[in-house]
Amino acid sequence: MRGVLGHFRELDNAVDAITALKTARLGDVTVFTPTPRHELEAAVAPPASPVRRYMLFGGLAGCVFGYWIAIWSSNYWPLVVGGKAIASWIPYTIFGFEMFVMIGALSTVAGLFIHARIPRLTMTVGYDPRFSSGDYGVWIECAPDRLSAAEELLRKNGAVEVRGER
Amino acid sequence: MATIAFEPRRPNIASANVQLPAVRDYEQVDAEITATLRPSKAWFVMLMIAMLCLAGGIAAWMYQIQQGLGVAGYNPPVMWGVYIITFVFWVGIGHAGTLISAILYLFRAGFRTTIYRCAEAMTVFAVMTAGLFPILHLGRPWKFFWLIPYPNWRLLWPQFKSPLVWDVFAITTYLTISTTFLFVGLIPDIAVLRDREKNPTRKAILSFLSFGWRNTEREWRHFARAYLFLAAVSTPLVLSVHSVVSFDFAMALTPGWHTTIFPPYFVAGAIFSGVGMVFTIIIPIRKYFRLQHYVTLNHLDAAAKLALTTSLIVGCAYLIEFFIAWYGGVKAEQDYFLNRVFGQWWWAAWIMLTCNMILPLSLFSQKLRRNPAWLWILSIFINIGMWFERFVIVVPSLSHEFEPWQWTTYAPTWVDYSILLGSFGWFFMWFLLFVRQLPVIAISETKEIVPPRVRHTHAHTLADAEDFEPQTGRAH
Repeated sequence: MRGVLGHFRELDNAVDAITALKTARLGDVTVFTPTPRHELEAAVAPPASPVRRYMLFGGLAGCVFGYWIAIWSSNYWPLVVGGKAIASWIPYTIFGFEMFVMIGALSTVAGLFIHARIPRLTMTVGYDPRFSSGDYGVWIECAPDRLSAAEELLRKNGAVEVRGER
Repeated sequence: MATIAFEPRRPNIASANVQLPAVRDYEQVDAEITATLRPSKAWFVMLMIAMLCLAGGIAAWMYQIQQGLGVAGYNPPVMWGVYIITFVFWVGIGHAGTLISAILYLFRAGFRTTIYRCAEAMTVFAVMTAGLFPILHLGRPWKFFWLIPYPNWRLLWPQFKSPLVWDVFAITTYLTISTTFLFVGLIPDIAVLRDREKNPTRKAILSFLSFGWRNTEREWRHFARAYLFLAAVSTPLVLSVHSVVSFDFAMALTPGWHTTIFPPYFVAGAIFSGVGMVFTIIIPIRKYFRLQHYVTLNHLDAAAKLALTTSLIVGCAYLIEFFIAWYGGVKAEQDYFLNRVFGQWWWAAWIMLTCNMILPLSLFSQKLRRNPAWLWILSIFINIGMWFERFVIVVPSLSHEFEPWQWTTYAPTWVDYSILLGSFGWFFMWFLLFVRQLPVIAISETKEIVPPRVRHTHAHTLADAEDFEPQTGRAH
């Protein structure tokens, strides 16, 4: 993996650089930002996050499990109370709901980890500690013959520091 | 070319663009919030006090295990006492955290940003504390795991129609989700600490805990979506947990308990007590660490309005209980309520009414809502009042049921009081350790409300910020 990292102090410079790099189609762009910004999201124009599906399917699985464990174990070990039904779905809705929330939320976190590709053992190339503080980074991964064009675009749009990495 | 410009604003006047006028840039956020992690003598002293209280509670519990539950002041038929009261109290405290972090997030309430981390941590530690009390209440605490449904050699399963088993599921889910919510929100902030850390050991630990977070747009995109859905499922969870706790009482036919108003009444009370504890914690923190320009008077004012609203709901529920007792025409119910307010338990009921209904009415005054000293004093009264609310729910009902020959009294013993004090030691020990290790104000979310650095000059400048007095939160 080879590319160029541009280091920006200002948000609008980073936005302009991303727009220029995407227009020039030089390679895959990765943006580093200390906090999520709509301006950067609009410039990158990424697809919608699929994390919501983890919530849906995890939640449904949890809900089914919650009802199932209550109904199955009530039938397995029947405790008759006041002549009422052994397995009663109304109070068991509590288990369905609680398991819906628990498994759904944990699945969502799993979805976050899978799609954000964390946990990560190394920081890989193109990271600078200043990106968690106040600065912005634009890393472009491209073929060796396009590196100089990418570097020029980054500098032209206000990068205070540009360095090649591999 | 992108153009991002900002209008000039007066210091400490929140607006859509500038919510924290005295905070100039992201570096200032990092520097000031991470400064809270430095140890101090006061921190050590408070930690020692908390651990001493905890040690006293542990000693009392060991004595109780050796001697039996009889040392805890139970007097049949009052077989629920300080432990169940304190259990409900701490579960209630735990409610404000998720309310502030989840519900206010969904409603885009700006004042949550700088207080939610504190409230979330408070939730986790409060629920950890609450979870101890049903175990303390057991005669044989080492058998508490019998409530958990799992295949076992006894071939026994819990009674799923029992509210106590509902509690196990509700509290376990709440603790798991609150902890997850807190930790997920902490990941980007731990990455900030990692990148600023010089000590190699601490850096390695923070690198592990931050999961290699790199602040890429991809990470933020999935993070924001996951956080939104966690907030979305946590919102009904907040409402469900204290409803389930209220079922512990409402499912019984005991006078004063068997009422359909209990779930909303408990939920409102829980939020009220939780906001009270948030004030108890956040006001000293903002003063001690000089964070008045993060947790501004506007934030305290907004949170005070939330406390006032929930106080009015709780007060309304108290009055409706009396009305229903009178209107329902059930003699035992009417007698119970008279005994609660004018009879045997008048002192406890009036502490409750004064602290939860009367004193919070002061928050109708904007001057008092913006007075941190008064808010802190009031929060102590709210904490006391909400503990007594649970006392008034538990003890008077059990001591004054249907059969007059069963009527009795109840007095906690030194064991009860020691364990109650120990629970505060346990809670504050964890909280103090948290304050020392992790940021009490969310760094990355605070940056979201600070205008980013742009090449075009904007009027949210150093000159504006220098006009601001952090000690008082006021502009000159």
